[in-house]
Parts: sequence; structure tokens; C-alpha cells
Amino acid sequence: MIATIRAEWRKNRFRPGFLVSSGLLGALTVFAYAVSWYQATHQVRGERFPTSVLTLYPDQLVNFVMGAGFPIGAAIAIVLGAIFTGSEYPWGTTKTMFTQGPGRLTTWAGRVVTFAGLTAILTLVLFVVGAACSIVVASFQGHTLTSWPAMIDVAKGFGAMWLVFTVNGAIGLALGVLIRHSAAALGIGLVYVLAVELLAVHFIDTINSGAYKWVGNLLPGQNAIALLQSFTSPAFGPSTAPVVSAEQSVIVLFAYFAGLVILAAGLLRLRDVT
Amino acid sequence: MRLTTPRLTKPNVTAMEHTPIVETHSLTKRYGSGVLAVNSIDMSVRRGEVYGFLGPNGAGKTTTLRMLVGLIRPTSGAATVVGRAPGDPRGLQKIGALIEAPGFYPYLSGRENLRVVADLASVPQKRVDEVLDMVELTSRAGRKFGTYSTGMKQRLGVAGALLKDPELLILDEPTNGLDPQGMAEMRKLIKEIGQGDRTVLLSSHLMGEVEQICDRVGVMSGGRLVTQSTVEELLGEKGVVVKTDSNDRAAEILVRLYGSAAVIHENGHLHLKTDPGNSLEINRQLTASGVGVSELRPFERSLEEVFFQLTGEKQGS
Repeated sequence: MIATIRAEWRKNRFRPGFLVSSGLLGALTVFAYAVSWYQATHQVRGERFPTSVLTLYPDQLVNFVMGAGFPIGAAIAIVLGAIFTGSEYPWGTTKTMFTQGPGRLTTWAGRVVTFAGLTAILTLVLFVVGAACSIVVASFQGHTLTSWPAMIDVAKGFGAMWLVFTVNGAIGLALGVLIRHSAAALGIGLVYVLAVELLAVHFIDTINSGAYKWVGNLLPGQNAIALLQSFTSPAFGPSTAPVVSAEQSVIVLFAYFAGLVILAAGLLRLRDVT
Repeated sequence: MRLTTPRLTKPNVTAMEHTPIVETHSLTKRYGSGVLAVNSIDMSVRRGEVYGFLGPNGAGKTTTLRMLVGLIRPTSGAATVVGRAPGDPRGLQKIGALIEAPGFYPYLSGRENLRVVADLASVPQKRVDEVLDMVELTSRAGRKFGTYSTGMKQRLGVAGALLKDPELLILDEPTNGLDPQGMAEMRKLIKEIGQGDRTVLLSSHLMGEVEQICDRVGVMSGGRLVTQSTVEELLGEKGVVVKTDSNDRAAEILVRLYGSAAVIHENGHLHLKTDPGNSLEINRQLTASGVGVSELRPFERSLEEVFFQLTGEKQGS
């Protein structure tokens, strides 16, 4: 499998879709810090939940960047996943890859591992750009630069964000394999993450006075939101309690990841490459 | 194109040459839509030969080749390729394939695309430059694949197929989209590759190409393998067409010289089964016997004529 990972890394490290996704995520992080900083320093009298400049300092880095995870980060990950697998079909590269030696499942496993590596890089971009922004804000505000989150919190935050990106990316990967085209796959993925799941949850909550709310709590988006919401602090003001515990959401998200990867593997293994 | 490093030494093992490297038994593919693309074919490609796989568009050639490399599963029947089942990773390591259009990443350079393939096939990276040199793409290897002309894409596809220095090279319509010069270069390249102990399975619908390059051919039509033999067998015996002012007298003389089985009366002329190189002698004998020769020309069927006869296609349609 090392050979397939090496090949996947070589072909994807400079892939325009990956470079654009990384750049977009970095730019959105800068934008989020800029807007929040402006709001924090230009408070409107009587605002219910004013943005505190305290949330922008380095010690709040983990909690602040969690806001990028859903739905924006998830949408970017879905797009990346869909083009990662979907574009292989119109380019005819699936047949090239499947006739080189490693079996289909080995090739797929290498692709998934590489994709998980790329989402780790996306997460790293988010954290590094966030850290740089927090340093800029703290410097201008005359705040200390020596106070940072504990390493364990950074690791937890990094892991949570990576999981959210990877699971949503896996939705894109599976759709790309299923539809065998990137444009349709990413379109369906985006519609799902930005609209369908939200509407479904709203609908499920209204049935029988919320008797089936637990069904909605099993959906990937709800678990991603719950996991990201578990990273907060008083500096962010009052927050709603997550509908699912962080531990449960981690398990559910991993289950989705495994299920989607196995589903796509089955399709790849059984279907003809025409 | 220049071929610098293919294995050009013919092994001195005659028995091995006749061992099939590709063998199919009642290989059949029926698609879900009910279309019978390949209908129970029994095909045998011998080790070391250049095998031409002929057939009109839609005859089932590409479907068969896809089954041989494991991209498509047969509906029924069996196949063995380099001693393994189609798609077996151990078999694929010995096969280089260019099936239909070359599939590469448009945003990567030609060289980087081959490096990806080399990584996947566990081939040393230095082999990339060797195959680029073989297909004379070295100077343009740094350009993105998406900017390549059709001819360059085809050449990169062949380079990719040669990366593993394969025992079996499967080329599906490698001259598609090439200009006449590109076709001639590709033909030369395939011919040179085929001189070694490597087996080449060449799918094409260009008769001249196959006739010049291949040792044996298989002809597909309507999903069936309608014939499989050497090019010579397929073309039949060569001969000489003779027309004289007295065909009966000429026939007597020629029967005496070549035997009765060699002389056939056909539509006002004689068809003599002999090497066209004997034409001068034939003319001399007939003239010496007082027979006036009005026409003396070699008779040779082209592969194209045989192909149209076998497939029932209309020439020039």
C-alpha cells in the first residue's frame, strides 16, 4: 500500500483543487478574524451578544477556529472529496490506476489514507493561519502573546476538526465513486450539507413533538456541529448545549467515515470500469 | 520515435514461443442493457508474437481487452493472461496496457504523470526517462498533459504502457488521432518492440498497419472471433495471373511446369499458384512455345479484402 500512497501523494500534493481549498480555508479564517475584530472594536450599543475581543487572542485559538468547521469547512471538504474521486472517471485515470498492479482495494485504501493526510494539512492550514491572525490581533491590542492553549487542547481541537473535514470529505469521496463524475458529486454533496440535512433535522424535530429527535441526532452534520460546539469558553458568551456529547459524536462520525469508505470500496471492487 | 532499450534478444526457446500468453475460453460479456458485446470467444496469443486484433468499431475488441486486464468482469467463460486470472495483481505487474484514450492527469506534466504510474507499479523512477526517450517525448515531458496534442498523448500512453518493461504489451488503437507521420512512427515503434521477446497484442482497424506489423491476427465481428491465424494463412497463397491469346495452350505448358493443381482457369485468364518472382520464367516459356502473353501480373489478396470478406462489411463504406 506504500506504493499507492506514494503515487496518490505525488498526484495530489499540487492538485489545483487541493491548493484552492487550502487557500480558500486560509482566506476565510483571515476574513473571520478580521470581521470579528471589527465587530469587537466597533460595538453597537444594546447588542445582545457582542463579540468580545478576548475570543481573538492566542489563548482562544482552538475555540475560535472551530467556527470554521461547519458548514464552510465541511462544504470545502465535500468539494475536495468529490473532485478527488469523481474526476478520475472522465480523465480515464481509473483504468490507468487499476491496471498497474496493486489491487483495486489497495489502490482505494491508499487513496483514502492520502485524502486523510490532505484533510490533516487543511486542518493545519486552519490552525496556523488562525494562530497568525490571533498574534496580529493580540499585538495590535497590546495583549500578551505568551498565553496559548494547552497542547492537549490543541491536539483535541485539531483531531476534532480533522475528523469533521475527513468525514465530510468521505461523503464527497463516496459520491464521486457512486456518480463517477466530480461536478454532479460535489453539487449533490453541497446541497446535502448546506440544505438537505438541515431541513431533514427540522422536519424530524416537528414529528410527534420531537419524539424522533434522536434520528436527527444520528446525522453527520448534527454530530459535527455538536463536536465543534464542545470547544467553547466563557469569552464566547452564552452558548447552547450540544445535542450530542462530544464522545458520542466522535463515535458516530467515525462510523460514518468507515461506512462511506467501505461502501465506496464495494462499488469500486464490483463495478466494471468502462 | 526512437527505441533505445527494449529487449531485442529473441530467446532461443521455440517451445516457449508457442506457449499461449493470453488464452480465453468461451469468454462472453453481456451488459446489463442486454447488449452482447463479446460472444463466446476462444482466443490464443502466443508468447513473443505480435498479434493483431482486428475488427470494425463496435466489434467487441476493446471490451475483450478490458476483460483481459480485469477492468471488466466477463459474464461467462474464462481467461488466462500471463498465467494469471485477468486483474490479478501479480499478472498486471507483467502487463503494460494502453486501452482506448490514454488516461492521465491534465494538471500534471507528462513526466510527473509517468512518475505517478511508476510509483503505483513499483518501477524505479529512472525508468521514466528511459521510456520518455523511447517515444521521443523527453523535450516536452515538462509540459502539462492537458496541453499535449493527440499524438503526444498517444505517445505518452505508449510510454506509460512500456514503464514496467512488460512481458505483454496491450495496445488498443494506438494510432488513433495520429497524423500520417505519427502513424508511421508509431508503427515503427511497435515493430521494434515486437522484435524482442515481448508479446504485443495490438488492436486496430487499420489493415495496412496490422499487415505490416503482425505475425498472427484475430478478426472480431459482431462480438465473435470469426478467425484467428497467421497473416500468411489469412491472405492465402500468392500467385500469378496469366492472360494469353491461347489460354488452353498456355495451361498445358504451365501444368507441365508447375503441376495441374497449380493452374486454375478463371474468367478468361489463368491463375497460377506460384511465387510471383517466377513471372520472367513463365513469360519466357510461354513465348518460346509461341503463346502470346497479353497480361502477366502477381496476384495477392490484401488483408483489407480478407477482412471485409470475413466481417461482411462493405469496402469503402
